[in-house]
Amino acid sequence: MPHEALPPGIERVLFTEEQIAVRIREVGGEINERFAGRPFLKLIGVLKGSVFFLTELSRHIRIPVKIDFLAISSFSSKPGAPGLVRIAKDLDDPIHDEDVLLVEDIVDTGFTLRYLLRTLAGRGPNSLAVCTFLDRTSKRIVQAPVDFRCFEIPDRFVIGYGLDHHQLYRNLPYVAVLKPDSPRS
Amino acid sequence: MDFSRNINRLSCYATRQGTGVLTVTGQVGCRAEEVARIAAARLGFHLVTEARLEAAIAEEFAPAIPDKAYRDVLTSVLARLAVERHIVVCADGVESLTAHFPGALRVLIMAPERVRVGQILLEQRCERADAAGQLKEREARRQQLRRRRFGRSAAPLETFDLVLNAESLDAEQMAATIARAAELRGFPEPALLSAEAEAQLQFQLRLRLARHGITPTGAPSLRQKMFAHPSEEIFANLLDYYRIPWEYEPRSFPIEWDAQGRVTLAFTPDFYLPEVDLYVELTTMKQSLVTKKNRKVKRLRELYPGIQIQVFYQKDFENLVFKYGLAERLTPA
Repeated sequence: MPHEALPPGIERVLFTEEQIAVRIREVGGEINERFAGRPFLKLIGVLKGSVFFLTELSRHIRIPVKIDFLAISSFSSKPGAPGLVRIAKDLDDPIHDEDVLLVEDIVDTGFTLRYLLRTLAGRGPNSLAVCTFLDRTSKRIVQAPVDFRCFEIPDRFVIGYGLDHHQLYRNLPYVAVLKPDSPRS
Repeated sequence: MDFSRNINRLSCYATRQGTGVLTVTGQVGCRAEEVARIAAARLGFHLVTEARLEAAIAEEFAPAIPDKAYRDVLTSVLARLAVERHIVVCADGVESLTAHFPGALRVLIMAPERVRVGQILLEQRCERADAAGQLKEREARRQQLRRRRFGRSAAPLETFDLVLNAESLDAEQMAATIARAAELRGFPEPALLSAEAEAQLQFQLRLRLARHGITPTGAPSLRQKMFAHPSEEIFANLLDYYRIPWEYEPRSFPIEWDAQGRVTLAFTPDFYLPEVDLYVELTTMKQSLVTKKNRKVKRLRELYPGIQIQVFYQKDFENLVFKYGLAERLTPA
């Protein structure tokens, strides 16, 4: 994509729409292999960032799929903000005895993923795996198991395909790097 | 000398004062430490984990303690810590020591096997059948260790003041319940274990430990350090938010020595995350000082190849706090 066509604030495209489509199809194939023979797979998307990825990924999964979503509170150092992470929107249905695939938009420090996995593991799933669209392993603090990943990314702030900057840019069909001088607060 | 009579006398003395000790014990796979951490934060008590206790034991006595002496060593270390701060102790078997800490609130966390298997499943990345087998193995190992150290494989239920079910309550709800029970019990009113009571207890315990040839070499302390930089406090808040155990500057690593073998330079990473065995260093300083810090980190890695350390530079840290919604940018030191 020519540089001129990029919206303001974006430095460059990291993964094009075509690259994303190809990679998601490949990862869908890996998931089909791993869960072949299972009655169904429960995809759990973490709101809001994973919506676009989960939607496209689910189209490439051949075994029956159920879909559910959850959301967690965000960290803030502002006075009055929640002192501990908590589920802001819980699953609609139980996951007991189900094969669960947690679908994330991005994993970096591992903080969020660790909390979500601990929470879900206590609900008695038959198995619990993780699929992330983007994986920033260089900044991992807490080791969190990632079973399937589309792209490993450098230590830059990225947007698009579900990832936001102040809730904007989620609808971009590609993943782009935010300019370093973009206002951040 | 009648040790039990003296210990009882001490207990009577301490009863009049009470002690701010709260113990949290859990079945395997119940995440008792997470609950203890949240409860400690709610109460403003200091959390003493099993890892912290082991470190304190190693610091004051020796890294390896005979099983028969373990109970007394543990009591001694806890007494020292209870003098300084109100504490929430999360360690297997610790509830059996509370006769020495009258007024202590003892909590047990239980859950159906299905829920506990789920935790193993997550930790080991396996399926339920394997996780169930591993749960049984861990329980058996823990029972054996308890029997050797404390004389019985499990504490009777009546030992505990409060029993919680991790299936119906999440970690935060359990912590809230514990905090409320502690308030009803009069916490944090109980005074700290007095220095006099602690001295008497230590005297008796050390006589017993001498029979095992164990003598203390140091004294563990809970005294809190102030964060050296605002970024460290923010990072600590972030870890707390995600319920990730941490310790602040728990260890200094010698990295240079003079000809006489005396340490001339040491490096103290800012944080240690015991759950993942990782040190974290925050370097939110000017670039001119970063080079010096990098040399220290490089030397640390050369000298201590088994140590894992993650360094966060100014930009890394800004990205981190920005990602998690922090509004203010940090000013370089």
